[in-house]
Amino acid sequence: MNTIKAADFDPNFKFEIEKELGGEHLTKCFNCTGCTVGCPISEIEPAYNPRKAMRMAILGMKKELFESEIMWLCVSCYTCYDQCPQDVRITDVLNAMKNIAEREERMGHIKLESAKPAFDKEFVDSIKRHGEVYETGVVIAQIVKHQGIKRLLEYTPTGIFMLKKGKLSLIPKNIKGMKQIKNIFRVVRGKE
Amino acid sequence: MKFSYYPGCVMHGTAVEYGMSTLATCRTLGIDIVEIPDWNCCGALEVYPDMYLELALSARNAAIAEQTGFPMMTTCAICFHNVSKAYFAVNESEKAKDMINEALGDITYEGKVGIRHLLDILVSDYGLENVSAKVKRSLSELKVAPYYGCLLARPKEIARFDDPENPQFLDRLIGALGAVAVPFEHKMKCCGGSLLMSREDLAHHLSRNILEEAVNVGADCLVITCPMCNVLLDLQQKEIEKRYGITLNMPVLYFTQLIGLALGHKPKELGLDKNVVSTAGVLKKLGVD
Ligand code: SF4
Ligand code: SF4
Repeated sequence: MNTIKAADFDPNFKFEIEKELGGEHLTKCFNCTGCTVGCPISEIEPAYNPRKAMRMAILGMKKELFESEIMWLCVSCYTCYDQCPQDVRITDVLNAMKNIAEREERMGHIKLESAKPAFDKEFVDSIKRHGEVYETGVVIAQIVKHQGIKRLLEYTPTGIFMLKKGKLSLIPKNIKGMKQIKNIFRVVRGKE
Repeated sequence: MKFSYYPGCVMHGTAVEYGMSTLATCRTLGIDIVEIPDWNCCGALEVYPDMYLELALSARNAAIAEQTGFPMMTTCAICFHNVSKAYFAVNESEKAKDMINEALGDITYEGKVGIRHLLDILVSDYGLENVSAKVKRSLSELKVAPYYGCLLARPKEIARFDDPENPQFLDRLIGALGAVAVPFEHKMKCCGGSLLMSREDLAHHLSRNILEEAVNVGADCLVITCPMCNVLLDLQQKEIEKRYGITLNMPVLYFTQLIGLALGHKPKELGLDKNVVSTAGVLKKLGVD
């Protein structure tokens, strides 16, 4: 049996999460499982359980959370959010945890294995560059990096259909207010 | 009735038929929509971890709309959620308002103008009886599965729209157009959209469940209100069929395409030739060519 050692936990993790926008209500959780009932991912992926993720966060299992895929399995559907009797706002708490992880990765402190934060980054970087997201470029880059060229080629017929129907933009274009977009990123992420 | 229209990035890309059918139906219904100038991407689902960035990106769009004085309207459920979040944050917390406006720099969002989803506007303001009065083409042959997805009605403190457990707005709209809305258990179940680029297997599984119910209840089509749901349910439907070795062949229409059909628009004006799963069966049933 795999036991856990409480002495290895990071007791500050819960405070770190509570300082993030969206993470404020984490410690209201009283472990009732209301969130897991009805979670669409828990229904199809036994490894995933939002109650357990809250518990791990409160206990300070930061390392285990950041080294596993757990929090990247949440699809942000907000089903649990409306069901929690303690107003924990699980979806936002999970996002606050993801934010800490993504920030630590940007600062070069950790490396995240999941393809989800990689896609988030690709997407948000595109907004930073253009103001609008360059959907075609972002999706192609992600498929090539995480599923391989072969997978991308399998999409050729769909790609051609979409191209013909005007559903793929081929050139990224910048919005006029790029100065304002740059300002947003500078203020929000300035200190990194 | 006048709104500042925030189309969102996908209306220039994968959801071009959503944009076309929105413009066509609003024109025919006499809803005046003016696209807000120089809007930016709201960050969709990918910005969610960074809530500050999410709020600031949406606040910029709302600040531009605020200068027009008209409330914002969108047909994208994700844009709707993100701008609503910024609206409530600014109205409920001075601290959030200051933080957001610091990020905005030389423009200011006062929180006077919020955002509405077109479906909400039609049911709550325009009136379904007034929609019915404009129906020119009978849809009475059509059995439609109403699919709301996640962000239109959840979370309830952001959406403030319809019953988050068992919403009825789309069902009622379908009825007002003369079609039959079939009872649909998966109406609020997630399509898996945000996992498509990292755990395609899970995303496909969730969407398969939705599509299979639509097939099993004998729906002629599935009607949706979100461009991300479209990517999973329409664009990825062939991939889902391949993965599981099943046949679904379920047409997926944006709700604005269904309205447009009832209002008598030509299929091409509504971009019905751009849906990936052919809509020919639906058109045939309605006797349209
Ligand atoms: S429903 Fe709320 S209180 Fe209950 S386990 Fe989930 S997060 Fe904790
Ligand atoms: S938001 Fe995440 S944890 Fe909550 S029900 Fe949806 S997938 Fe599960």
